[in-house]
Formats: sequence, C-alpha cells, structure tokens
Amino acid sequence: MHTMTPGQIRALIARGKMRDTLFQALGIICLAIGLMVIFLLVGDMLMRGVERLNIEFFTEFASRRAAQSGILSAWVGSLLVMLVTGAAAVPLGVAAGIYLEEYARRSWVTDIIEINITNLAAVPSIVYGLLALGIFVYTFGFGQSILSAGLTLALLILPIVIVSTREAIRSIPAMIREGSMAVGATRWQTCRYHIIPYAMPGILTGVIIGLARAIGETAPIITIGALTFIAFLPPVPFTATGMDGASAGLFDWVMSPFTVMPIQIFNWTSRPDPAFEVNAAAAGFVLMGMVLSMNALAIWLRYRMRKTIKW
Amino acid sequence: MPDSVHVSTQFDEDLARLRTHVLHMGGLVETQIAASIEACISGEVDRVRAIVDTDRKINDLEKAIDDDCAHIIARRQPIASDLRLILGISKIVTDLERSGDEAKKIAKGVRRIHEAGTLPKQYGIGIRHLAEAALSMVHQALDAFARMDGALALNVIRADVEVDVEFKSIIRQLITHMMEDPRTITTSIDIMAIARAIERIGDHAKNISEQVVYVVDGRDIRYDKGAIK
Amino acid sequence: MQTQDITQPQHPLKAEARNLSFYYGAVKALKGINMPIHDKKVTALIGPSGCGKSTYLRSFNRMHDLYPGNRYEGEIRFFPDNTNLLSADVDPIEVRMRVGMVFQKPNPFPKSIFENVAYGLRVRGLSNKRLLDEKVEQALRSAALWDEVKDRLQALAPTLSGGQQQRLCIARALATDPELLLFDEPTSALDPIATGAIEELVHELKKRVTILIVTHNMQQAARVSDYTAYMYLGEMIEFGNTDEIFMKPNDRRTEDYITGRMG
Repeated sequence: MHTMTPGQIRALIARGKMRDTLFQALGIICLAIGLMVIFLLVGDMLMRGVERLNIEFFTEFASRRAAQSGILSAWVGSLLVMLVTGAAAVPLGVAAGIYLEEYARRSWVTDIIEINITNLAAVPSIVYGLLALGIFVYTFGFGQSILSAGLTLALLILPIVIVSTREAIRSIPAMIREGSMAVGATRWQTCRYHIIPYAMPGILTGVIIGLARAIGETAPIITIGALTFIAFLPPVPFTATGMDGASAGLFDWVMSPFTVMPIQIFNWTSRPDPAFEVNAAAAGFVLMGMVLSMNALAIWLRYRMRKTIKW
Repeated sequence: MPDSVHVSTQFDEDLARLRTHVLHMGGLVETQIAASIEACISGEVDRVRAIVDTDRKINDLEKAIDDDCAHIIARRQPIASDLRLILGISKIVTDLERSGDEAKKIAKGVRRIHEAGTLPKQYGIGIRHLAEAALSMVHQALDAFARMDGALALNVIRADVEVDVEFKSIIRQLITHMMEDPRTITTSIDIMAIARAIERIGDHAKNISEQVVYVVDGRDIRYDKGAIK
Repeated sequence: MQTQDITQPQHPLKAEARNLSFYYGAVKALKGINMPIHDKKVTALIGPSGCGKSTYLRSFNRMHDLYPGNRYEGEIRFFPDNTNLLSADVDPIEVRMRVGMVFQKPNPFPKSIFENVAYGLRVRGLSNKRLLDEKVEQALRSAALWDEVKDRLQALAPTLSGGQQQRLCIARALATDPELLLFDEPTSALDPIATGAIEELVHELKKRVTILIVTHNMQQAARVSDYTAYMYLGEMIEFGNTDEIFMKPNDRRTEDYITGRMG
C-alpha cells in the first residue's frame, strides 16, 4: 500500500467525521420522536384527568355517577394481586433459574426446557387466561378470586423471572464459584452464600420488571372473570366481616372477588357518558405512575446492592 | 552496595552465605601464606606437610563457591549490584585459590632449601619484609571485600607498587650473590622462586581489590593506572 | 549450601500421580503422567501455554468435576493414608477439604475480609465466634496480611490491592489447614513487588504445607521450588530437583524451553 500524504489523511478523517455527525443527528431525531410520543400520551392523559386527581378519587369505590367514582377497590385489588403474583413467581422462578444454571447437567431434556421457557415468554397473555380459567378457576375451584388472578399473572411472568435469574447468575464470574467450591463447599453452600446474594440485584430487577408488566395486564384477568364493579374491599385478616360478624381468617382475602386498575379503566372507557372518560384518564395516569415507580424502585435497588458487589 | 534487603529473604540468605564462604576461604589462604612464610624463616620443614594438605581444602572451597554462584545465577537471575557481586566473587575465588597455590610453592621451596642446607641469614629480613607487605595486602583486600569498602581496596592496589620494589631489590641482591659465589646458585634459585611467589600473592591481592571496586562502584579499573590515583 | 540438596535423602511423598490421563470430552489433555509430590516441598510445573500444567494441577482437587464431560484415568495417590483422589468412591468435596487452591486471578468474594477467610470454616460448620476470630487471625498472619488488615477486617475484600487480594485468597485457603496447597499461576496478575511477596510467602509456607505451583514464569519456578517438572503437550517430559533442571536438564526439550529456544 502506498503512503498517504498528510493532506489525504486529513481528507479521509474529515469524511469519516462527517458520517459521524450525520449518524449522530439521525439518532437524536429517532430518540426525540419516541420520547415525544410518550410525553404526548402521558400529557394528554394528565390534562384530561387532572380534575379528578384528588384524595377522594383514591378513597371512593366506583359509582354510577362519574364525579363520585373512585378507584379504591381497583388499586387495592391490583396491589393484592401483585402480592400473590410475587409470592408465587419469585420462589418458583428463582429456584428454577438456580436449578437450571447450577445443578442441571446439560442434556436434551434441559435443552427442551430451555426452549420452552424462552417460548413461554412469547405466548399471548390471553392464552394464559384461558389456561387459568380451566385450571385455577374450575379444576382447583379457586373461583374468580384474587388467588386465581395472582397465580395467572405469576405464570405470565415466570419466564421473565427465570430468565433474569439465569442472566444474573451467569454474570457472576466462574472464579467465584470455583473459589467457593475449592475450599470444600457443596453446591448448595455455594448457592446460599454466594450465588443467590450476588445474583439478588439482577433477580430483583427481573421480578419488578415482571410485576410492572403484570400490573398492566387486562386480558387474562378478564378471561378468568374479574368483576368490573366492586363496591367492597377484600376482608382484612382478623376483623369482623359484614354479613355474619365472624372474624376473617389470615388468608380469606385471597378468595375474595376483586377488580384491578386496567379493568376499571376498561370499564369506564366503555361507558357512554363522556364524564367517565375523565375518570379513565385519571386512572390511567395513576397506573402509569405505579408502573414507573416500580421501575424506579428496581433501578434504585440494583444501584444500592451493586455498590457492595465488585469483582 | 545497597544495604536494603531483598523481598526474598532466601535470596539474602544465599548471598550472605556466599560471602561468608568467600571470607572463610580467604581466612584459610591467609593462614596458609603466614604458615609458609613462618616455615621459611624458622626452617620448620615438618609444617610443609600440613600446608600441602590444607591447600586441598582451599581447592574444594573454590569449587563449592563457584557451584553456588552458578546456582544463584540459575535460580535468582541476579542483576545490578547482585550480579556484580556474583561475577566479582567468581573471580575473587580464582585469585584466592592461586594465592593458596603460591603458598604451597613457598612451602615446597622451603623444604628444598632446608633439605640441602639452611636459608642464608641475609635473606631472612628481606623475605620477611616482602611477605609482611604481601600478607597485609591480602588481609586488607579481604577486609575491603567484607566491608565492601572501595577506598580500602584502592589502598591495596597502590600498595602493590611497594611489594614490587621490595621484590626487585631481593632479586638484585640474589644476582650479585650468585655472581660472587656460584655455589649458592641452587639455593638462590629456590629463594628467587619463593620471592616470586610472594610477589604473585601481592598481585592476586591487587586483583581481588580491583574486583571489590567493581562490585562496589561498578567501575572496571583493571589495566587503568589513572583510576588508582 | 544449595548443592547439599542433591545429596539429601529423598523426602517422603505427599502425593503421587500414577499413569494419570485426563480427557476434556474426546480431547486427551494429559497423557499418562507419573510424578511424585514430595512432602513439605515446593514442586513447580512449567511448560508452554496449553501444555496441560493447569489441567494437571486442577486434577488434584477434582476441580474438573464441576464441569460435565471431563474424565480421569489413572490415579493420584494421597499420603499418608494412600487414598486415590480420583476414585469414584471419594467425594470431590472431601478432596477439596484436604487440598486447598489459590487461583490465577485473585478471586476474593465480594464480602468482608473477615468473611472471606472464615468462609472455609463456616462451610465446615464452625460458628463459634471466638474460635473463628482466632482462626482468621492465624490464617491472616500466615499469609503475611494481618498487619495490613487487622484494623479493617470488616472492609470489603475487593477494596484491597491486587497483591493483598491474592494473599487474602491464600489466607482463605490456609484457614482450613490443607495438607496440599495448589497455586495456579498465582502471580500472573501481579506487579513484581507483590510477586516477590507471594514468592516469599510460598517459601515460608512450605514449612507446614506441601505446595504444587503452576507458573508460566520459569525464573519463578527456579526461585521458589525444590522440584520442577517440565510438561509439554500433555506429557511429563522431565521431573527433577530444581537445581538439576535449571543447571543441567537431561532432556533436550527441557533445555530448549528453559533457555528460550522454543519457537
């Protein structure tokens, strides 16, 4: 190759830099479009729903009159369903992830399981609803309860939890595992003292992202038959219930009928009275807020826990 | 020589042991020289046997120290002052061993002289002077090595000139003597060999001192008259 | 004097590889190795990259068992009880309880200095605080790290310097009093001074534990070891007294390697 003169070198650099600038501009434009759409959506919702965003909106049940309607039963229902979802999906998903990464020997069986997990994440959520309707609602007899809804959503986010657990475990250097095994630890000791604690930030992030997805799900919840109009809260443990005065058990609430935020919103948008649309916008804004604050929590947790873990 | 220690205490121990062995060998050589001169002057021929025996010990020490040097080079890859020390020691032991050989030569010469007769009186003083000067050079050279004292080593190198002067005067005396009385030629030649051996010991002491200067300063002052001044 | 080593009687054996072969799947990585490991001595393994020296080392604590598809043939006899470390009847965990290991890159756990050293003891079920304190101090002293860390035992281990981290890993291995200590290129990630400190430590440690060390640095093998083995392409080419190997190797291939004549 012949040597280039300084002039040629400079020309070459100038051409390269121009392409840099062009690509940078393109990137900024794409980013701006995406952000603008989100801001427009949220802003629009806020503008239309702002008049209903007051304390009563959170403390009132739904009502036939739009101005007196609130989302009490919806947000309480959403929270309780998430509680069940988390309680079911986290142990199952984490245990499955650990098993697959740390214990399972590679064979055609584990290969099939892996392919299935990846595919499960892509199954439309309504299919989960149908499955749950058959299994939880009828076969197990859980009825149209918080438990059924929670377990359904747990199924939905299980692949997310498993995959994020495995990713978190994989990011732990092999030498940490070897260091632990080398002093004579068993696999379980290695998991208990090292793998699980060090994978925790990643696992938590996965769990919260999964829950954030689950909280917005509507289709499977409708499929299993959540009520759209609920004017009572699930029984609080150890308090007298309305009808017969008997004290409620610790877990009675899981069998209670319920509604959740997306269903409440869906319900309001399908009403003919335009006043309900204001309610829907306000509730939508609250739901957005819930999802965003969950994501923020995930980011904060990950940041805090990662501070103590360096390789 | 830096006084600081190596990170490896084992290396320090190896080097310290090596230096001790060199000094031990030097001590043996000094005793050998002193004993052979003593025999020469006193005429105690029965000492010669012991001197010849001890020389074997010196030879063995030279081999052992050389072997140690080789091992340290192979295992430690010495550099800078450590490398100079090892190189210096491997040359110093050669000079020490040769000094030992000269002492043996003196002892054998003494035996020949005394088997044939006695050492003529007039040479006793001269030989003694020469021997004392050479012995002091060896002693100081070893001191300079033990203390890594470059200045002392330079003194030893300067002192070699005096030994050479003393040696030449003995030779002149011997030549005159031989011309006057050819019957003394046999004895004179033996005395000459003894004086020559003592003079060589002085040269070896000088070589040792040059190596000490090399170890301490990293200067090679062999064949360099200007450096001594 | 160093030359005396040669004339000294042979030391009792701590371990002995007998016709040891090893397979990564279908690849034969070790080819029938026979080699003694002398008790309370340092044995160095040298050879070009990929010669199998690390593979060989990691057979001594059955590290290969962690990964599927690995297979041993032959024996590693461990003394004085004459156990075959590679036997299917011997649990790899039992082997690792007796044979400690220090890795190529310092790999402290992202926990406190104290917890790093105490880990092996906790794994063995020790939870008495006073006993743990005592053992941890002892191990840190043996690893020449105590003075540097005694005021901050609760600090996170990754805040230590590379050399300190490696000594911490040595302390972690020492805390459980292993009979054999494996070093897998322990200084390849360290600067010369930290390397010197580790080498000095190895020299100290051989008073109480047998050491097997892999090094890509021949000079290091010459400095720290009593016995040296030269490996090439999965074979043991030459084993002998370190003095002999570095002064007068018997095999042409060893000579070529240690004098840097290999392409």
